[in-house]
Amino acid sequence: MSDLQKGFYPHGDNTFLANFSESEREVLINLSEQIIELLAERIDHHSNDPLAAMVGITSHDTPPEDEVLLRLLPNAYSDQVDASEFRRYTESTLRQKKQAHAMAMRTSLKSATDGIVEIDRNGANDWLGAINDIRLALGVRLNVEENTPEELQLLKSGDPMHGVYAVYSWLGWLQESLLEAVMNGRQ
Amino acid sequence: MVKVNEKLEEELQAIFSGEVPWITIVWDDPVNLMTYVTYVLMELFGFNKEKATEIMMKIHTEGKAVVSTGSREEMERDVARVHEFGLWATLQRGDQQ
Repeated sequence: MSDLQKGFYPHGDNTFLANFSESEREVLINLSEQIIELLAERIDHHSNDPLAAMVGITSHDTPPEDEVLLRLLPNAYSDQVDASEFRRYTESTLRQKKQAHAMAMRTSLKSATDGIVEIDRNGANDWLGAINDIRLALGVRLNVEENTPEELQLLKSGDPMHGVYAVYSWLGWLQESLLEAVMNGRQ
Repeated sequence: MVKVNEKLEEELQAIFSGEVPWITIVWDDPVNLMTYVTYVLMELFGFNKEKATEIMMKIHTEGKAVVSTGSREEMERDVARVHEFGLWATLQRGDQQ
């Protein structure tokens, strides 16, 4: 089995490696940047209270209208009043943490030598969180709730969603390989 | 002195002593991998693999499962940590399940 087909694998106690082709790296860098930019759309440009901004309070107390953003920044309460209050005090922190995961992923991809990405345990958690956010975003676009994997596999090659589903599946496989590498290391 | 029945008295006592437990619920999601849900439960809540797998299966088959119990503040922290890793969680009073 070549390195290209095995995704992430453990290397020593606290290191995980993956060998990506140039185009795979480009796709992953591009997707991590899209998540960073998407989350930045929620940044409150109109806030005129620097103190509130500093401690992470935003004027956002309504859920995002965009379905993908709502999936990434969901409500914490079924009660709308409680959900709004919680969102006002926590959403910007959540957004920053998710951006930090995607940025760490991008950094390790950009600093890869000979296509080999090297990460430690913390880096693995950044990758797992970031891959998951990307899969959630693609999953919304693919309407994964209603479409079954069997139906999605039958998408014709000319269908624009065909390529999206291929990336979505590949990311699931990549995430699984990293999970296996990390979990085997725990035992 | 106002007479209150036993149940109300218990309720009031719980409220004032802050002992009404709150719960964090994780909801099923068709995107998240089962292995990933198990891993996040192990990582964030310190469950061993067997326990985490059991809770993951409950989420998968029943649509949701309680993953932690405690004060409202503690549950808000748990929900925020779960959201950071892309699972959907909500919190509520434990007696309103």
